[in-house]
Amino acid sequence: MRILISCVLLVILSLGLVFALEQAPFGSNQIDNADKPGRFYLNQGMEKTGAANVVTSVVVTYRGFDTLGEVTILFIAAIGLGAVFHSRKKVKRYEKEKQSASLILQTGCRFLFPLIVLFGTYVFIHGHLSPGGGFQGGVIIASAFLLLFLGCEEKKIPMKSMNTVESLAGIIFVGIGLAGLYWGESFLENFLPRGMDYMLLSGGVIPIIYIAIGFKVGAELAGIVAGLIERNP
Amino acid sequence: MIVSIFLLVIGAAIVLCLIRLIKGPTATDRAVALDTVTTVTTALLVILALVFKRYIYLDVALVYAVLMFIGSVAIARFLEKGI
Amino acid sequence: MEESLEQILELSLTLLMLGGAVCACVFKDLLNAVIAAAFVSLMAAILFYFLQAPDVAMAEASIGAALTTAIFVIAIKKTKRVEEE
Repeated sequence: MRILISCVLLVILSLGLVFALEQAPFGSNQIDNADKPGRFYLNQGMEKTGAANVVTSVVVTYRGFDTLGEVTILFIAAIGLGAVFHSRKKVKRYEKEKQSASLILQTGCRFLFPLIVLFGTYVFIHGHLSPGGGFQGGVIIASAFLLLFLGCEEKKIPMKSMNTVESLAGIIFVGIGLAGLYWGESFLENFLPRGMDYMLLSGGVIPIIYIAIGFKVGAELAGIVAGLIERNP
Repeated sequence: MIVSIFLLVIGAAIVLCLIRLIKGPTATDRAVALDTVTTVTTALLVILALVFKRYIYLDVALVYAVLMFIGSVAIARFLEKGI
Repeated sequence: MEESLEQILELSLTLLMLGGAVCACVFKDLLNAVIAAAFVSLMAAILFYFLQAPDVAMAEASIGAALTTAIFVIAIKKTKRVEEE
């Protein structure tokens, strides 16, 4: 009886959503009036900022303040998790009986770890030229540290330097915004020279901000995974 | 014409892997099905990059090829009680 | 690409995602539910790629493939594995 009522309610809800979303003109070619910001970013984004990837220039330059808010949200989540973990005891490694990794897995993880970190660094340094950016590169670096936790257990990750790197990267991001206020006209303005198109050192402040975001997200997520593995629930 | 045949074959491979994911009696069968569907998906992404003629889209396939290994290692270490 | 082939591909991807999502809700063993959730994330990443948004596809791929699966597996290790009614 309960299942029947919930199925009927689900059908009514989905029909309501479908009829409401039918009115919106998704995907059609809107000319002039309704799509002016989109056309402006696509046509003139590369000339004004110098970055070949228009999504990157929108995220960092035109809507840079929202990116600062998003980085703050990640930081608050990490602080919340740290507050929960602070009062728990650490798991003692020699007390639990667990099976250590086989030889193939240990050798493979030791071989793959620097390659994955290199790939993550490639993704966030070339953020303004190819798809990718700071957040994606940071998650790839955190996955490399997760592989190190799973594969070889005798290598210790220095957690103090992770926290230091994360805080420094956050300070650098806000510092660049304040430098834009000092040398330019507004907070987070693009005050460095534009450079040639399609080169690595182009686009003004955009590569520097993405490098800071990449380091910050990577160190944060690696710290969260380390806390989850090592502490008792 | 040839692209249509490729896409049909890859679609059939994904449907077969989904059937094994639903049916498989133990969790190990499902983990192997997930790994196989990721490998087939990487090939699908490369063929779609050829069809759309944008060669900067190949980075996405590279990300998937690297990261699914880590997910499989996590599930396997849980199943042998070593995490 | 022809118009009808595009539409068939989009429709089949959406139906596969729906099947995987129903499985993720129904399974009692939590490890099977985590594997079905990783499958749903994979289908979503292909759909984003197909709609010409490679940045979003790369974000969904990196988060859904490795990080979410591993964090859920660690959480299952520290609590119980089979959900009881």
